Amino acid sequence: MLTRLRAIVQRFTYHRSTRLTSEGLQFLFFTLAVGIAAINTGNNLFYLLLSMMLSIILVSGIVAEHCLRRLEFHRHLPDLLFTNELATATLVVKNRKSRFPSFSLTLFDVCDGQDIDRGLVIRELPPGASKLLSYPLVAARRGRLRLDGVRVITSFPFGLFLKKAYYPVAGEAIICPEIKPLADEALQDLLAAGQEHTAHRKGSGSDLYNLRLYQAGDDSRAIHWVTTARTSKLTVRETEAESQRRASIYLSLLAPDNLDTEFEEAVAYTASLVHHLAARGYHLQLTAGASRSSFGQGEAHLLDLLRMLALCERRAPHAEMRSDTDRFMEPPDRVDSGALIVVRPWRGAEVPSMPVPALLVDAETFLGASHAM
Amino acid sequence: MPCDQALRLTSIVLASASFVGLVLGASLPGWLIFLTASALLVALSRTGNVTAITSVVRLVTLSPTTWNVLVLSGFLGFWIDSLWISGDLLTSGIHFLLVLMIIKLFNLQHRRDYVHLFAISLVAILAAASLTSELWYFPIFLAYMLAGVWTLLLFQLTKDAAVPSAAMRREPEPLESNRDVTPKLFWLANGLAAATFGLTLVIFFVIPRVSAGFYQKGYGENIRTSGFSNTVDLGSIGPIKRDRSVVMRVELPDRQAHEVGRFYLRGLAFDRYDGRSWANQLSHRRSLSEDSPETFTLRGSQSHKPSPHGPALRQHIQLEPLDTPVLFAAPFAESINGRFPAIQADVTGALYLPFPSSTRIEYSAVSRSNTVAPADLQPQPAAYPELFIRHFLQMPVQSERIAALARDVAESKQTIYEKAVAIQDHLSSHYRYSLDAPLAAQAHPLEEFLFDRKTGYCEHYATAMVMMLRAIGIPARLVTGFLATEWNEYGNYYVVRQQDAHAWVEVHLPHSGWVMMDPTPADGDSPGGTLPAWHTVQSMLDSVRLRWNRFFVQYSATDQLAVMRDLQTGSASVRLRTLDSLAAFLRPLTDAFETGIDSMTNGGLPHVVKVVAILLAGCGGVAWLVWARPWNWPRRSTGAAGNEQAIVQLYRRMLRQLERRGIRKPAAMPPLQFIRIIQAQWSTAGTAVASITELYCRARFGRVPLTREELHRAQETFHQLTSLSRS
Repeated sequence: MLTRLRAIVQRFTYHRSTRLTSEGLQFLFFTLAVGIAAINTGNNLFYLLLSMMLSIILVSGIVAEHCLRRLEFHRHLPDLLFTNELATATLVVKNRKSRFPSFSLTLFDVCDGQDIDRGLVIRELPPGASKLLSYPLVAARRGRLRLDGVRVITSFPFGLFLKKAYYPVAGEAIICPEIKPLADEALQDLLAAGQEHTAHRKGSGSDLYNLRLYQAGDDSRAIHWVTTARTSKLTVRETEAESQRRASIYLSLLAPDNLDTEFEEAVAYTASLVHHLAARGYHLQLTAGASRSSFGQGEAHLLDLLRMLALCERRAPHAEMRSDTDRFMEPPDRVDSGALIVVRPWRGAEVPSMPVPALLVDAETFLGASHAM
Repeated sequence: MPCDQALRLTSIVLASASFVGLVLGASLPGWLIFLTASALLVALSRTGNVTAITSVVRLVTLSPTTWNVLVLSGFLGFWIDSLWISGDLLTSGIHFLLVLMIIKLFNLQHRRDYVHLFAISLVAILAAASLTSELWYFPIFLAYMLAGVWTLLLFQLTKDAAVPSAAMRREPEPLESNRDVTPKLFWLANGLAAATFGLTLVIFFVIPRVSAGFYQKGYGENIRTSGFSNTVDLGSIGPIKRDRSVVMRVELPDRQAHEVGRFYLRGLAFDRYDGRSWANQLSHRRSLSEDSPETFTLRGSQSHKPSPHGPALRQHIQLEPLDTPVLFAAPFAESINGRFPAIQADVTGALYLPFPSSTRIEYSAVSRSNTVAPADLQPQPAAYPELFIRHFLQMPVQSERIAALARDVAESKQTIYEKAVAIQDHLSSHYRYSLDAPLAAQAHPLEEFLFDRKTGYCEHYATAMVMMLRAIGIPARLVTGFLATEWNEYGNYYVVRQQDAHAWVEVHLPHSGWVMMDPTPADGDSPGGTLPAWHTVQSMLDSVRLRWNRFFVQYSATDQLAVMRDLQTGSASVRLRTLDSLAAFLRPLTDAFETGIDSMTNGGLPHVVKVVAILLAGCGGVAWLVWARPWNWPRRSTGAAGNEQAIVQLYRRMLRQLERRGIRKPAAMPPLQFIRIIQAQWSTAGTAVASITELYCRARFGRVPLTREELHRAQETFHQLTSLSRS
């Protein structure tokens, strides 16, 4: 009953609340003292002073309410954020009152009922005017960032009360895992290991694919002069199509509760791997628990993969080990899927039998040690 | 003016307002007034950056520990004062409050110091309210409220990020403490003050009046008066006849001034005269019955026969605190309405409170004077009871000459009334009124007045008439009270002063009862003709004072109940009542306006010129305010624009200095080129001239504002330049 009552009161006071400042407390104390003196003596001049103090309190409330009324907020958050990486969020505040300005506004983001101070202060917002406020946003955890609204606070005009108002202004952003630089050696090893399983195709690229005799119409810049000199036949160099490099990355979501940090590191490592491989032009496929992407390449595909990693959640092994939704145990779609990299935050997770040898990355790797083959 | 400087200024104004309130309300020692006023002036001059005072104050800067020791010493002094010097907790508390104010004014540095000063000034204005109810409190209160609103507003604006995590606060705009008081802020603060004032009035009139009355105190000493005790020496009224203190104000709701004329307010009646003093031997008091709440009715009559009554006269009386419990009303009072625990009356019809009031009191009275019955105009023998004769025909032994005179004057008259009128006329026509009559020192003052000096004032006239009447067997008594003659045309009421204290005669006629007669002629010293201009202002002020007392000081739960009753009966009557009250409050202004218009239409050209001149001056004042915007002056003098003006003036002074040294700058020559000429002709001055010129060009043409330090540096450079000698 008490809890319910408290909930009702909280709901009632959520949109408007008032708190006394230290100066306000002292002022209230003096008002009380003057009131007692007025009642005690019946002196009308005491009543006059009491009326003045009460009217100051009333004016405080009325003016503060006017400052907080009829404000309009628009929020803009970046589509994708990275953990621990600085981004800029913007908030547009508009005073929709036709006559009264708003003064001394302090704005807070409200997230899960908590007020987050972004250091946003507006000293004056004239009637009908709007103001663009931008502030740095650093997310500490990956996942979905939901901002419920904006809390506006003012102590105007006399600093006796802090009056708060809540405006629901929803905002959502996906926080991707942090992208960390990978050691060149480790990356080279990974690439080399998967190279033999890569389906080689002719195309534009830098690596050698084939040497053949020159044909009319071939680009003269492709002539391989060393072979031409040795064989006395005009020979051209064909290159391997970089776009056809493939890699499949498997991220195990199974980890016990006490390995949450390791799991997050595994996700961050996977994201870094995805990012680096995508930068090298690889066609990538990501499997994270029950989710599996298609092979793809390019900026949009990379963002899809990062979004998958942002939203994947750890699963406790005892319940999910044999889950039919977990495709970790399933083999890849095709034999020519390129390099297979398995990221495993927990050693207890079973590695599936793959048609091609897989490169297993354990916790030791992404926590600093070398990877295991 | 920057906001932090303005905060300091308004805090000092706030303290000043409460200090003035205390000075006017309490009798403070001179040294304390001097010290506090000096502290306020020093604090004010520090706000205005008066260099000499600031540097002197810096020299005597004390540590926080020293200030704390001073506060403790002040607290110790408070107890010593309370126990041995003043012996009064309130007085010593006020002294201690002012000591705290002085300490805080010298130590006004941190934000908490401003809070402390605000609290001290609040207690001080509260103390002033407990010590007075005079009209001057109202402007002091208004000044206090205005300064208070400004102080609170500036305190909030200069607050350093009061909300949590101040470290995160980013400041895209300059700090408020560095910002100037803009015209917008000026009007905002004044608008808030006006709103606060309006709301204050509403709350004041609406807030329920509850008085528990554990601690009630009057306002200082009561007004000392004389003539209103059971024994009065002849000539005792004389000294107070030069005192202009207001003792009461009387409104006559049913009549206008021209209908009333000289207005008598009856106090005490005396029956026994011993040759030097009067005494009231019928002073036994009985409590009046309270017919309805707060209404006391006087039953029966002091005369031994019923008498025909004149028309009823209603009066609203505001009586200042006097040192006598006597209540005054027009003769003869029938009922009194007021918030009194009890009212008493003696046999002569005098009214008393149980004890003298220490505060201003307000009451209504209904009086009805006796008219002369037609039967008394016929010669008829009169028979009085023994008791009546013993009291109202009593005479001192040495009055044989007086009896002879009375018989001479009245011998040709037939009726009692005619004889009384003859004696009254004789006295008023054959004797001269003068306050300079030292008859009290004489052995037989009455004979001295009647036969030797023939000069005196009301007491002598009235005593002489009573004695003459009694000498020929007509019962009479002496009455003291006030004779009101000063009509306030702005408020429609009588102002009664100490100097209006008066004595007159009541003659008993067989069929009419006690009839009032006054043998005193009009005062020859009283001013006649046109009243001086200051009198008009005084009347207006007094009218405002009356309304202040009526609407603020005396406002009570009864008034609130009356409004509530009106609300119940209908909104129209409330609206009318409100409009009436508003009209009554504003009447001095509207009357002054009407007087001005009358003067214009009837007073001829000089009055028209006067009014037009006043109107033009008013319009000129408004136009000047709009054009000059004086509220921007502090900003101009202290801001960037002020610095620019200062460097321009300094550059001109430098040019004049150089001209005196023989180097003149042609008007067409650019400043930078002039530097080269100086360096060529007077190399030692080159650096100083170049420095000042550089700052001048920057502020004048580059529009880059100078800082105070740069301006200060330029002034020092100029002083160095003046000390250089050119070989």
